[in-house]
Amino acid sequence: MTINGKDLVAKLKPLSSVESIKDIPQLTQAMFPGTHCPLMGAAMAVGGIKGALLVVVGTDECTYYTKSMTLHSERFGGPGGRCVSVVLDGHDVTFGSTPKMHKAFKEIVAEYKPECVFLVTTCVVEVIGDDYDAIAAELSDAYGIPVMAVHTEHFKCEDHLPGLERTITACFDMMEKVPQNDTANVLGQRMGEFKTTELYKMLVKAGVKIGMQLPAGTTVDEIKNAAAARVNIVVNDIALPLAKKMKARFGIPYVYFNKFVYPDKIYASYKELFEYLGVPLPEEIAAYYNEAKEAVTAAGKALGGVSYIYGNTPYYCFEMNAFLASLGMVPQVIQTNRFSEENDYYVQEILKHTDPLVCKAANIAPMQYVYDELHPWLYMGHEFGARLRKKGIAIVHSDAAGSMLGFEVTNYLLKQITVAAEEAKIYRKEAGL
Amino acid sequence: MSLCRYLPVPSDRMAIIWSLLSVKNSLVLEYGPAGTTHFSMGLYGTLGIDFENRLFTTHMSEDDVVMGDVTRLENAIKELDASYEPEVIFVVASSVSAVIGTDIKGVCNYMQNEVKAKLVSFEQGGFRGDYGIGLNEVYKLLVKNLPQKSDKIDGSYNILGASMGRYRMESDVWEVQNLMRDAFGMQPVACLCCDTTVEQIKNMAAVSLNLVFCSEALEAAEYLKEKFGTPYVYCPPYGYKKTMAFLQQVSAAAGKPIAPALMAELGKKTRNFGMLGMYAMMGGLKKRPQAVVKADYDTVCCIAEFLKEAGFDVTHKICSHALKSVMNPVPDVKFYADEKERLDIFRSLQNTLVLADDVSIMQCDNTNTCLRISAPVINGSQVATHLPFMGIKGADYLMETIELYYQQLY
Repeated sequence: MTINGKDLVAKLKPLSSVESIKDIPQLTQAMFPGTHCPLMGAAMAVGGIKGALLVVVGTDECTYYTKSMTLHSERFGGPGGRCVSVVLDGHDVTFGSTPKMHKAFKEIVAEYKPECVFLVTTCVVEVIGDDYDAIAAELSDAYGIPVMAVHTEHFKCEDHLPGLERTITACFDMMEKVPQNDTANVLGQRMGEFKTTELYKMLVKAGVKIGMQLPAGTTVDEIKNAAAARVNIVVNDIALPLAKKMKARFGIPYVYFNKFVYPDKIYASYKELFEYLGVPLPEEIAAYYNEAKEAVTAAGKALGGVSYIYGNTPYYCFEMNAFLASLGMVPQVIQTNRFSEENDYYVQEILKHTDPLVCKAANIAPMQYVYDELHPWLYMGHEFGARLRKKGIAIVHSDAAGSMLGFEVTNYLLKQITVAAEEAKIYRKEAGL
Repeated sequence: MSLCRYLPVPSDRMAIIWSLLSVKNSLVLEYGPAGTTHFSMGLYGTLGIDFENRLFTTHMSEDDVVMGDVTRLENAIKELDASYEPEVIFVVASSVSAVIGTDIKGVCNYMQNEVKAKLVSFEQGGFRGDYGIGLNEVYKLLVKNLPQKSDKIDGSYNILGASMGRYRMESDVWEVQNLMRDAFGMQPVACLCCDTTVEQIKNMAAVSLNLVFCSEALEAAEYLKEKFGTPYVYCPPYGYKKTMAFLQQVSAAAGKPIAPALMAELGKKTRNFGMLGMYAMMGGLKKRPQAVVKADYDTVCCIAEFLKEAGFDVTHKICSHALKSVMNPVPDVKFYADEKERLDIFRSLQNTLVLADDVSIMQCDNTNTCLRISAPVINGSQVATHLPFMGIKGADYLMETIELYYQQLY
């Protein structure tokens, strides 16, 4: 192979030159493995809604892979579970898929008796222009159950997150005006269970009841009654559109409580949340805040100058990179598929310290040659550990952070980075660096 | 077919890709949205295919779809050629590029001047049919594009029609290679498409014989016969008798006698098998043995024949793919486009020997005796490469299940 790492690095852009996602280049035109598609995101979201049926409308291939993903999923009910498909052939592409969908839906209702149905359309449906919003509305009227269309064409977006976002946003149509209670909804948790998080423990301690957890695990009834909540806790950007809609229609405020790592940001989010809930902040929170601040000070001394390449993690990308840059760490490359105005503040924070290169994520094959040029100490995200070790790089594991919220996120991140930095010292020696 | 409750039949495009990924020293580049490629890795992994640094995607943006811009594809081809220096780049259309009508072949034609690798295009986007059609197409395109005229290598052969999508295919290839070695001392060259290389496919014309495993590979075999004068044998060796027939046909075509030791072993097995049905009836079976077989066309036909020889009434012979890809299919092998109709057959079975895939077996109640002989594999995984259904060992294995079934009937 003759991939030239220098050429690859030269193709990347500095963060300071990026104004929109279109400015972020792909490391190479030919990618491996490439990003996940929004269809997968939609499937993940429907998996978290008990009683909901996922109907994938697309080619044999899209439907085959989605069903395969659910075959061993307890949430979906295994092979015979609540993921089915309507497979389009050449005839449907030419003449439209409406008659086939209507026929299939009759069977769906008879066999599965779903409480609600998500018709998830794939790339081809969007190219041929079948109007699935209208079809969903027709079916909903005809059978008296909520039927929502979720569009997941991948050529209009970068990864699977829009699929999650559109699915949970579609749930808005099921929500009814109901009397308010004192619950808090949790919106946008993609991985893990909310009840294992520090935030959950603090809410329970304060006597707050949790309402709908979308898409982490909820029911159709909980969605219908979601408007009873006093506040929505948005733990990921994917839930912002839904939270905004619920605020506009039902007047429910929301608190943006992402997977932050800056202790000050987490503390502020706690305070804002408990103010909306009208209950005092549990005492532990101040103590956790102080502990996290101390951990940051201690870690900062050890991590100054440690370089890394950022891949794909459960953290809030630019906030986390700004935090690490503030500790004196050096992000050499940030791989991301999302960039918006909301990131401006954190981008500026990063630029105060350094100007990393940026490129799109999920293309680890050519990234090997970038490692050889930049020789980072650490890689954050999914990679092959043994392969990286040969290049003197240690992996910072982050998956467990998927089911964390609050100061535990800061502590976990710092611990993982500190461990990895120690490993990197050994690996770099082994690699002769 | 309207509603699909389980897994749909894999498409032509899926079969093309799993076949091409089995050809080493080549790369596969998909022109389409990246998510499909990423999603597909799960399937190729379960089939035992190594796709690291072999499978790439260009991704596609809205601009590419609306404007028909192929710059991304052109750049990706140049990049892969320079970076990996493969002998061949297979450029495969996606459903999106197929629907918008991207001229993949045209792009490959003009890009051929700019790259060292041979470019071979596949324009099937998943709408020409199921995997049967895909296999037919991929074998044809490979033999039309890669083999070159070369000196004959005495005692060598190719295998055509070994699809990695078929359950236990690597084991079947292993068994047939052993048979060919033990019976005739013959050595394999290329295997379409299971653990082979571009170099081996280029060398296909050097062999003295082609072995055809399935109907989908017949056109490719005919082409090789016409172009290079290579005869072929189409006799998938399932069961003792069929294995004997296979060896006899190879012997006639290659002009080599069958090794006596192997003949003796096979003869003994065939005689014992011939007595099986009679002994079973004498033992007092409660009912006449009955079986249902579901698999790829040739597997169904041959295993059903084997069961018939053992005294079975094979009540349903179900093909896993549409019969469009089969030349002159026999009338009692059926493909059910309607999934429910097929599932209902399995749900209604009682005290039957069921040789099928996991989804079908899942529908059967516990009065039946079941053995997985075809894909999809849902329970567990396929690891071994020495547990065939073909040849002597394959027949032995099927016999064990038949004996088990008989025990349930006493």
